[in-house]
Amino acid sequence: MNYDEYREFTSLVRQRDIVFYYFGYFSQSIISAMAESVRLQLEKSDAAPSKRRKIFSSFVEMAQNITHYSLDSLTPTEQRDEQLRQGSVCIGRDGDHYFLLCANPIAVDNVELLRQKVEPLGTMSVDEIKRLYRESLREETPEGSKGGGLGFLTLARDASSPLEFSFAPCGRTDAVMFFIKATI
Amino acid sequence: MTTRPPDDLLIEASVDSPRIDFRFSAHQLSIKGESYPENAAAFYRDMNERTRAYLGSLDAGVTVTIDVALSYFNSSSTKVLFGLFNAFEEACARGIKVVLNWHHDAEDDTIEEFGAELHDEYPSLEFHDLPFDSR
Repeated sequence: MNYDEYREFTSLVRQRDIVFYYFGYFSQSIISAMAESVRLQLEKSDAAPSKRRKIFSSFVEMAQNITHYSLDSLTPTEQRDEQLRQGSVCIGRDGDHYFLLCANPIAVDNVELLRQKVEPLGTMSVDEIKRLYRESLREETPEGSKGGGLGFLTLARDASSPLEFSFAPCGRTDAVMFFIKATI
Repeated sequence: MTTRPPDDLLIEASVDSPRIDFRFSAHQLSIKGESYPENAAAFYRDMNERTRAYLGSLDAGVTVTIDVALSYFNSSSTKVLFGLFNAFEEACARGIKVVLNWHHDAEDDTIEEFGAELHDEYPSLEFHDLPFDSR
């Protein structure tokens, strides 16, 4: 990338009202540093406190999801602490709303399972999401979950419109890129 | 019951975890700050185990006060906290009185609703919703 291309890149960031963008490795200490940056950005914005809290919460859920589940890992798959995995997250503004996007590769073999889990969330009403959230809170943590099985539901709860999910090829036969978009 | 209560637990706050000050000897427990550690189950394990041992050591008639003042907690911390209060509910059935002081920003609906959820699920706890004005 030369200087002109970089200028183009930064002007796109401005045009699209990007508040925060990061691509790279995610660890817990990187997340807490980013969380501080996101919080500062939001404090100087005119977003209402409740909206700021929801953006912050969604940011943490998305970032921790990458740390827990991205296929591109520098740490062994079974390692449960101090994980380091690659992905990207973006926060931007679109009129009165904020949006958060995140992406990370997942194993091809996990696509169907994940699709079955997330796609219903995109079509549920607010009341249905609340009910499912309350039920999941009382359930045992699902097998294979590194959080409490509440991450996607927390995103859905904080969003002002249905979550959007997408799976796209990423130039690998063993992996697919998994995207989530939340609007707040 | 005659089992010995566990030692008091003090964990200072970090950027992603709350201050935990569980003075079992004084029956005063407090959690304050933010909670989004990488592995909430691991972070809260010691607190959970000591609390269960503590509750098991108490005789009927004792009053335990727990103050929760969390300004943010992530989904996995939410799950752990919800489970923790189950232990208090069970203690109530054995004649122990539990007072839960739920502190939150008056404008924070999410935390207020989670408090209401706890109150609903664990009705034996004496629940105090304590909103404060941050402005």
